[in-house]
Amino acid sequence: MKIRAITLNNLRRFTDPAHVGNIGNGLNVLCEPNEHGKSTLFDAIQALFFKPHGSRDKEVTGLRPHAGGAPEVRLEVETEDGRFTLSKRWLQKPQATVHAGDRLVAQADEAEAWIARLLGGDAGGPSGLIWVRQGMTALSGGTGKEEKQALEARRDLLSSVGAEVEAMTGGRRMDRALARCREELAQYATGTGRPRTGGPWKEAQDRVAELTAAREALAATAAELHEALAERKRARRSLDELKAPEAVADRQQRLESARAAYAEAERHAEEVEALARAVELAQLNAQSAAARLEQVKAARSEVETARRDVAEAKETAEAAQSLTAARTAEHSRAEEALDTARKTLETAQSSYDLAMRARAAREGAERRRALEDRIAQAEEARSRMEAAEAAARSGPDAATLQRLETLAAELTATRAARDASAPQITMRYAPGREGAVQGPEGPLVEGHPLPLHGNTELTLDGIGTLDIRAPAQDDDGALEAAETRLRGALKQAGVEDLEAARTAAATRAEAERRQGEARAVLNSLAPDGLAPLRAALAAIPAPEDLQDAPEPETAEAAWQAARAAHETCRITRDVAAAALGEARTEAARAEARLTSLSERLQRTEAQQEQIGGTAEDALAAEVETTAAALERARAAHAERAKAAPDLASLKAALDRAAAVQTQADAEIARLQPLLAQLGERISRASGDAVEERLAETTQNLQAAEASLARIEHEVAVLTRLEGALQAARTEARERYFEPIVKELKPLLQLLWPDAELTWGEESLLPHALVRDGRTEPIDILSGGTQEQVALLVRLAFARMLARAGRVAPVILDDALVFTDDDRIERMFDALHRQSGDLQIIVLTCRQRAFRALGGQALRLETAAPPPGS
Amino acid sequence: MSFRFIHASDLHIGRKFANIPQPPDGNIRGRLMEARHAALGKIGQAAVECGAPHVVLAGDTFDTATPSAPVLRQALMAMGETPQVTFWLLPGNHDNLRDAEPLWEAIQRDAPENVRALTEAAPVMLAPGATLLPCPVAFRAGASDPSAPLDTMPSPEGDLRIGLAHGGVTDFTESGDAIAPDRDRRARLDYLALGDWHGRMAVSDRVHYSGSPEQDRFKHGRRGVALAVTLDGPGAVPQIEEIETGSFLWSEETLTLHPREDAGAALRAVLPERGRRDHLLRVTAQGWASLPDRSQLARAAEACAPDFAHFELVTEALGTQYEPDDLDAIDRGGALRMAADALVAETRDAALPQAGRDVAGDALARLYAYVREDDA
Repeated sequence: MKIRAITLNNLRRFTDPAHVGNIGNGLNVLCEPNEHGKSTLFDAIQALFFKPHGSRDKEVTGLRPHAGGAPEVRLEVETEDGRFTLSKRWLQKPQATVHAGDRLVAQADEAEAWIARLLGGDAGGPSGLIWVRQGMTALSGGTGKEEKQALEARRDLLSSVGAEVEAMTGGRRMDRALARCREELAQYATGTGRPRTGGPWKEAQDRVAELTAAREALAATAAELHEALAERKRARRSLDELKAPEAVADRQQRLESARAAYAEAERHAEEVEALARAVELAQLNAQSAAARLEQVKAARSEVETARRDVAEAKETAEAAQSLTAARTAEHSRAEEALDTARKTLETAQSSYDLAMRARAAREGAERRRALEDRIAQAEEARSRMEAAEAAARSGPDAATLQRLETLAAELTATRAARDASAPQITMRYAPGREGAVQGPEGPLVEGHPLPLHGNTELTLDGIGTLDIRAPAQDDDGALEAAETRLRGALKQAGVEDLEAARTAAATRAEAERRQGEARAVLNSLAPDGLAPLRAALAAIPAPEDLQDAPEPETAEAAWQAARAAHETCRITRDVAAAALGEARTEAARAEARLTSLSERLQRTEAQQEQIGGTAEDALAAEVETTAAALERARAAHAERAKAAPDLASLKAALDRAAAVQTQADAEIARLQPLLAQLGERISRASGDAVEERLAETTQNLQAAEASLARIEHEVAVLTRLEGALQAARTEARERYFEPIVKELKPLLQLLWPDAELTWGEESLLPHALVRDGRTEPIDILSGGTQEQVALLVRLAFARMLARAGRVAPVILDDALVFTDDDRIERMFDALHRQSGDLQIIVLTCRQRAFRALGGQALRLETAAPPPGS
Repeated sequence: MSFRFIHASDLHIGRKFANIPQPPDGNIRGRLMEARHAALGKIGQAAVECGAPHVVLAGDTFDTATPSAPVLRQALMAMGETPQVTFWLLPGNHDNLRDAEPLWEAIQRDAPENVRALTEAAPVMLAPGATLLPCPVAFRAGASDPSAPLDTMPSPEGDLRIGLAHGGVTDFTESGDAIAPDRDRRARLDYLALGDWHGRMAVSDRVHYSGSPEQDRFKHGRRGVALAVTLDGPGAVPQIEEIETGSFLWSEETLTLHPREDAGAALRAVLPERGRRDHLLRVTAQGWASLPDRSQLARAAEACAPDFAHFELVTEALGTQYEPDDLDAIDRGGALRMAADALVAETRDAALPQAGRDVAGDALARLYAYVREDDA
C-alpha cells in the first residue's frame, strides 16, 4: 500500500477542506512551520485506519473543530490491486466508503473490514510500526492501546518471518521451568555454584568431613589399642621367658661357673707372680756375688799400681830438691853483684846532676836581666795607658757632640723662623748717639732689625722707656721645645754650652789617641800580659855556689858507664831468680804428687783391708752357685706361667654372665610396670568400645558419603538443566530476532560502526545498545540517540514488511527533534537508503534542517487559510 | 550313640546398622540390633527344644573387637539364661584373638559357667566320645588356611571329631587364607562347622556354613537359621536340620521394565502382601522406561516405602527411553524443546563419561517433571 493523497475536512483547525496530493514513492517531505496542522494530518490518517466510523470516543470527538461539524478524511491509496479512495466521516452521519475510481467497492462495516484487511493482511496490522508521533522519541509510548497494538504488530511481523515468540522462547513455561530449576538449585548452591551455607549440600559436606575426622580419630585409637595389645603380648612373652625357672637356673649356673673359673685363674696368677718374685731374688743374688768378686779383684790391682806410683814420685821429688839448692846459690851471687853495681851508679849520677845544675845557673843570670827590663817597660806602658784611659772617659764623645750640634742648629732655625714672622724694629741712630737705645738684650745695633716678641721695653737713653706691645706669636711653643731639648742634651753631656762641649770633645779625643799608643807598646812587650813574664822570671833558678862541680861531659860519661854495668848485673840476677823459681815449683809439684799418691796408697790399702777376709776363690764359687739358682728359678716360673689360664677372657666371661643376670633383672623390673600400664591402656580403650564406635562411624560415613554423592548429583543435574534451559532460550531469542537484526545492521552502521542492539522478549523492542563492547540500556541513552534508534528500528521493521510483500508507508511526524546536524545528515542517508522500495512521509517543522533531506516536497493546500494563522 | 549340637555363627552382636537410613520414626536400627541380640535366646531355646546340650558358635559372635560393656554383658547373660546348654565361642576375624584380646579375657573372667571361650587351638571334650577341635582366628586377616591345624589335632581313639573354624572356602583375595573344601577328609572330621559366610551353605555332607541366624544383607533372600547337627557315630553322615531363627527378612527383587508398561503396577506386583514390617526390601529396576514411566515408578516407590522396615529402589540399571511424545510433552518446538533435545543428545553421547550422561538424563527427567507439573 502506498498513500497518494490525503484530504481533510472539518478536522480541528481545518474547517475547510485541506489537501495533500502528489505523494510519490520513496521519500516525501512536508515541511511546514508549527501550528500548520501537520499533527492533525497525522491524526487524521491514523483515525482513518483505526477509528471505526461509528466510534464516538474521546479521540474521535477530539478531532472535531471548535465550530463543530463532522470530521471527514479521505485517503487515496495505491495497492497491488489498483488505486482506491478510502473515506470516513464520524459523529454526524458517520460513514465509511471505499471507492475504486468512482466505483463504490465497499461501505460501512464492509468498508471497515476492507480497511482492516488492507492494514493487516493475513498476519495482523503492521501499521503501528510505521507511525512516529511528534515528540515521541521513545520506541514505546503512546496510549496503552497504541502500545499494545504496536507490540502486537511487531509480534505479528516477527512471527510472520520466523516463529511465534512464545513458541520460540518457550514463553512462560520456559520461565517457570527455569524458575523452578533455579529455586531448587538455590537450596543447595550459591549463585556462583558454591555450596550454600546452611543448605543441604553444605550440610552433607560438613557431615562427611566431620565423620571422616571422627573415623580417623577412632581408627587411630583402634590402631593404638592394637599396638598396645601387640606390645603387651611381646612384653608378656619376654617376661615369661625371663622368669622361666630353667632360664633363671641357667643364668645362675653360668654365673657361678664363671665366677669359680675366674677365682681359680686368679689363684694361679698369684702363684706365677710368687715365682717371678723368686726369679728376681735369685737374679739379685747372682749379680751381687759377681759384683763382689769384681770388687776384690779391682782393689788388689789398685794397691799395686799405687805403690808403684809412690816410688816413682819419691825419686822425682828428691831430684827436684837438689836442683833447687844449686839454683839458690847462683841467685845469691847475682844479687851481690847487682848491689855493688847500684852503688856505683848512684855515685855517678849525683856527680852528673851537680855538673848539670852548675851549667844551668850560668845560663839563667843573663835571661833574668833581660826579663826584668822587659817587665819594667811593660809596667810603665800600662800605667800610661791607664792614665789616658781615665782622661778619655770624661767629655762628650763624637756622637753626643753631633747630637748637640744638631739640636743647636734646630734651635737657631726655629728662632730665625719666629723672628722672621715677628714685628721688627730697626734702630738708626743719630750720629753720636749710637747705643742710646737699650733693648732687653743690650743696646740696639744700628740698622739691625730687632724682632719683637711679646712686650718689649726699650730704654731710650735720656728719654725714658718705650714699652712696645707686640702680639704674642703663635709658634706652638716650638722655640721653647727646641731650647728645652738642647738644654737637656747639654745637661746630659755635662757641659754648660755648646762651646764647652766642643772643647771637652776635643780633649777626650786626644786622651783616646794616647791610650791607643800606650796599649800598642804594652802589647808588643807582653802580648800575654805581665803574669807569664813574671812566671818565666821566677822559673830562672836562683844562682848557687857550685864552684867544685865537675865538668858536665865527664860526669855524664861516668854515669852512662855505671848505668850499663848496673843493667848487666840486673839481668844476670833476674835470670838466676827465674831459674830458682822454676826449680822450686818443680820441687813443690813433685812433693805434692808424692803426697797424693801416698794418700791413695793408704786409702787403697785401707780398702783392701776392709774387704779383707773373703777370699777370691770363695767368692768365685758363690758366683757359680747363685747363677745356677737363678736358672732353676727361671725354669720353674716359665713352666708355671705357661700353664696359666687367660685371666682376661675369664674376667670377660664372668662380666658377661653377671651382665646377663643384671639385664634380666632390669628387664623384669621394666616389664612389670609396663605390663600394668599397657593393661590399663587396653582396658580403658576396649572399655570405650572403640572398635564398635569405629564400625558405626564407618557406616555413618558411608551413608553420609552416599548422601553427599546424591546431593552432588542433584546439584549437577540442576546445574546442567539450568545451563541447558538458559542456553536454549538465548539461542531461541537470537534466532527469533535474527531477521530484524539483519535489517537493522546496515542502518545502525551508518551511525555507529559495529554497534548492535539487544532485544527484549516481552517488548519485542531493543532494550540496549552495544557499542565498543559496552552495553547501554536504551533508556539511559541521550534523547537524540534514542530517537535515532527508534527511527532506525521502525525503518527496519518497514523494510521487513516490504520484503514480506506488504509495503507500508512510514509516516514520521517530527521524528528527529533532538538530533544534531551531523547525525541528521546520516539519518537522511538512512532514510534515502530505505526509501528505495518504501514510501516514507516525513512531517517536519524544521524547514532549514530538512532542506538538505531532499525527496519530494509536499504542500498542504487549503481552500481557505485556517483560522488563527 | 548319637550326639546332637547346635551350629551357628556370625551373630555380629553390637552391629549398629548405621548404613540403613533412619526413617522418621527412628526405630529401624534399634529393632535390627535388638533382633541380633534376640538370636542368642532363640538359639539357646532351639538347643533346649531339640535336646542339644552344646552350641558351637563359629566366630564373629561380636561385631567388633571391643564391644561396649552393655553389648557384651547382656550377650553373656542371654546365654546364661539356658544354663543346661553350653555355648562354645570361637574367635572369628571380627573378634580375633589379637585385636579382641580384652574381649576374650573379659569372657573368660566374667562369663557364666555355660559359656566357654575357645582361645586355643587344642582339642576340647564336649561329651564322652565327642571331641571339639577349634581353630580360633588369631588375626583379622590371615594368610593361611585357618583350618590347617585340624589335620594334626589329636583326639581320643573312636571319638567323634568335630572341627570348628572361621573363614571362606573361596579365596577371593588370593591371600591363601581359604579353607580347603576337603578339610573334613584330610583331618578325618565327622563334621566341620564353619563361620564367616552370612548365608547358609552346605559345602559338602560334612562341611557346613550355618550362616548368620539374623541376616544383615540383601543377597541371601531368606531368614537366618541355626543348624541342629546330629552325628550318629564316627564316619556316619551328619543329619542337618535348619531351625529358622531370623526375625527380619532381607531380600532383593529385580524389576525388569519395558517401555509403555505401567511401571507402578509392575512394582506393586513384585511386592509381598504380608510381613512388610519385618521385611527389608531392595528392588533393582532394570530394562527401559519412558520419562512418564519413571515418574510413575518413583511415585509408586514413595507410596509403598513406609510399609517396609526398609525399602529402597535402585534405578541405576534402568535406562530411559525418550519417546517423541515425551519430548513433545515438554514442548513441540522452541527453546524448551531445544534444551530437551540437547539433553537427549547428551545422554546418547558416547564421548561423555557415564556420570555426565546420567546427569543429562536426570536433568531431562527433571525438566519433564517440571513442565508436567506446570501443565497439570
